[in-house]
Amino acid sequence: MAKSESSGERGRTITNQVRRLRFENGEITQQQLADRVGVTRQTIIAVESGKYAPSLPLAFKIARTFTVPIEKVFQYEDSDNPLHEILKTEP
Amino acid sequence: MNRAQKIAWLLVITISLGAVLSCIAFTVGYFKVGMPKALAGLGFMSIAGIGGFGPLIFGKDKGNVTFDERDKQIKRRAALASFGASYLVVGAVCMIPFFILGPKASISVTWLPSIFGAAATCTFFTYSVAILVQYGRGGEDGEK
Repeated sequence: MAKSESSGERGRTITNQVRRLRFENGEITQQQLADRVGVTRQTIIAVESGKYAPSLPLAFKIARTFTVPIEKVFQYEDSDNPLHEILKTEP
Repeated sequence: MNRAQKIAWLLVITISLGAVLSCIAFTVGYFKVGMPKALAGLGFMSIAGIGGFGPLIFGKDKGNVTFDERDKQIKRRAALASFGASYLVVGAVCMIPFFILGPKASISVTWLPSIFGAAATCTFFTYSVAILVQYGRGGEDGEK
């Protein structure tokens, strides 16, 4: 699972399942995914490795490519939030 | 490595080379022929001008999409960093002589083009370094 920490937002991370979803959806390549969502392959690599948090439109495009809701692809974790651990363990 | 990175590398290399050679030439000239003539050594900075041909040397990237939101963000941040750096250079060049020479001193206007050149060089250098740092080493070539 790739994690990206937005600058200036310590404790707040966006994780993603893009790599796993690529393999579960016919093992599409990074280039194929990039072409489908209209970005460069470098951007897909950066998103997968958690170095770049995509914009909302791009995140929705990626989710729609895999035909899953956006929260299945990207997860927002706020460890500064006191409810974080409770929410995490909640079924 | 994309086109922006290649151009940035060319600029960083040419500016660094020009700066190093200029420093060496100026230092050697200063001790051998004295001050006014030693300034000729700064002519090596013209090597940095080769970097300006980057957009002509490096062609368009392959692929359907060559520029996206991440590239836009990287360029915007690099522009901001380069503006900040040039602002600091101009600020330093204006204030340092003021504090060293005093408020009653005067300097020749021939320094003005040099200040402009230094600010421009600093802008391009910082912009290129910021581009390279943000893209990361090499080009992030992962699995294809």
